[in-house]
Amino acid sequence: MTRFVESTITFPYKRSLGPVVGMFMTALTEQRILGIRNGTDVIVPPMEWDPATGAELAHDFVEVGPAGTVESWTWVPKPSAQHPLTHPFAFAFIRLDGATTPLLHAVDAGSASALSVGTRVAPRWKGTRIGHITDIDAFVLGETPEVAGPDHGPSETPVSMMEYQASITYNNPVPVAADRVVEASKAQRLLGQVCPVCARVYAGGRGYCPIDAVELGTEHEVDLPDKGTITNYALVTPVQYPGQTETEPFARVFVLLDGTDVILSYQPVIELAASDVHVGVRVAAVWASPAEDIDEGAAMGGAYGALIGWMPTGEPDHTDPDLVNRIF
Amino acid sequence: MTSTDIAVIGWAQTEMVRQTDSSETKLLLNAITDAITPLGLTRADIDFTCLGSCDYITGQAFSFVSNLDAIGAWPPKRDSHVEMDGAWALYEAWLRLQEGDIEIAVVTGSGRSSTGDPALIYPMEMDPYFLAPLGADPLTFAALQARAVIEAGIATERSMAEVSVRSRGKGNIDELLTKEYLREPLRRHDLPPITDGAAAMVLATGDRARKLVKRPAYITGFDHRSECHNPSFRKLDDSPSTRIAAREAGIADGAIEVAELQAAFTHEELLLRSVLGFDDSVKVNPSGGALRSNPIMATGLCRIGYAADHIFNGGNRALAHSTSGPCLQQNLVCILEGRS
Ligand SMILES: [Zn+2]
Repeated sequence: MTRFVESTITFPYKRSLGPVVGMFMTALTEQRILGIRNGTDVIVPPMEWDPATGAELAHDFVEVGPAGTVESWTWVPKPSAQHPLTHPFAFAFIRLDGATTPLLHAVDAGSASALSVGTRVAPRWKGTRIGHITDIDAFVLGETPEVAGPDHGPSETPVSMMEYQASITYNNPVPVAADRVVEASKAQRLLGQVCPVCARVYAGGRGYCPIDAVELGTEHEVDLPDKGTITNYALVTPVQYPGQTETEPFARVFVLLDGTDVILSYQPVIELAASDVHVGVRVAAVWASPAEDIDEGAAMGGAYGALIGWMPTGEPDHTDPDLVNRIF
Repeated sequence: MTSTDIAVIGWAQTEMVRQTDSSETKLLLNAITDAITPLGLTRADIDFTCLGSCDYITGQAFSFVSNLDAIGAWPPKRDSHVEMDGAWALYEAWLRLQEGDIEIAVVTGSGRSSTGDPALIYPMEMDPYFLAPLGADPLTFAALQARAVIEAGIATERSMAEVSVRSRGKGNIDELLTKEYLREPLRRHDLPPITDGAAAMVLATGDRARKLVKRPAYITGFDHRSECHNPSFRKLDDSPSTRIAAREAGIADGAIEVAELQAAFTHEELLLRSVLGFDDSVKVNPSGGALRSNPIMATGLCRIGYAADHIFNGGNRALAHSTSGPCLQQNLVCILEGRS
């Protein structure tokens, strides 16, 4: 029975808006909706370029709406977590008065039967507007714009950036080979796999020989030595992006295991200051104690399972000048 | 006719299932082996590979790098990747083979769409300023396009149900039309299934192709075109990019016997038929199309595979179509022919 693991990946984006979208977003904070002239058309939302030809458009903005006409719509009986409203609503193409293209937005219409092609709608503004398409909470039936709650007024400075948080939850199968190396690590074993065709050895639960495109199974497992030599390294100065737990510069090293051709990449070091890391240092694996929590997840790249890093053995350095070339 | 003869000589697909236990690498390993083995080829015979897949769907940055384990890195191969359906990987291989210095290419399309919720993943690929922040999902856009296609008189809810019943080989039209809307005017039967799977296809240049198989499926026309990314600025009851791609691929040069169209939603097939000018003499989606199985990133490549099957089985001319983006934003047309 294959084990599945659920993981959520979140990307907090900051986007620069540019001269046209920025103008549109700034106007939203003022409860105004802008289009841009393209020949005889007025395009809403505005683009920097003609959608058909790609020709750059002059920054000739036209205020449209605020009311408009529903050109097409579809009822959303079960909103998703990403939708602007939590109760059933319509997504509609709304032709704002003065525009020649429709804007997609939500209509808070109560029920599907309240909507038809030609229905008049107007924006319901959020009280706090930041220069984001969701400053319009939704459109509502009728000709009159509304503000939801107290009005905190327009942005004091032009809006030039927007934030967008992308977050997705995935459910991925864990390859058997990956589970096997984590399990072996709990017994302080470094498990490898030998290719039956080319005899190359792979560590980290890869599960395939990429040279021969053959799958590697339990019958191909071998124990690997838990001592090796640092062949190359990087000193990382951590940028404080969301999720980064390191605050001080740290090392990630590549370890060539003794008597093999196996390189473990991106390994943490323990009891070795970043400034003391160099090519040729002899190291041994450090294992988590059975009481410690370990990462049961993906085994590819970096330390995994109960293998938490590498510590100097105190032996003299290896001085082979070719060591530095071994990162694969 | 292209300057160098290039033909599809074989293809294979994995089992198409709602959720597979296999990694994408494993799916590709099997698909490639199954595609090359009946031709008497080994991985060492492959000169060029191009893989179509999508990191967003697997949730792993550079997931296509581990997919390379399925190719066999020795002897060295020229390799490429497209973050698109395998049909576009085929397009790149077709261009590459025209250089004339190599003879055999393998292309793949692969995806595990069961990994995440498509309704939550796809909005993130939309316009980042105006659409993604609203969670504008594929079902919503399909419904808005379906409404436009119905209003233009190209489809009805009944003709859409007919497409579903024909493609899936099951269902009763009157009964289907009593079901609730998921997004009016779309009901469950108008939507594609969620499918995990992969496909691999083998291409060869003229003389090599003729040595390897009795009846190569020659690619005689191949083109793809794109429209504006935001459906607000498009006429949704038309598909000008399909029309141009089909014209440039030479649709008018002879009768099309079979057409495999990547129509994930029922109304898309009716719109595409209308734009391509098909009458009842064209057999559309005998495979069941994307409504029967919809392995994201491989669905288009499978269309080309089924069109090639028509040629392998003695047919003369078939058209395959693939699409990408909301409301048929980008469209690819490939025409395959047999020769006596
Ligand atoms: Zn091997």
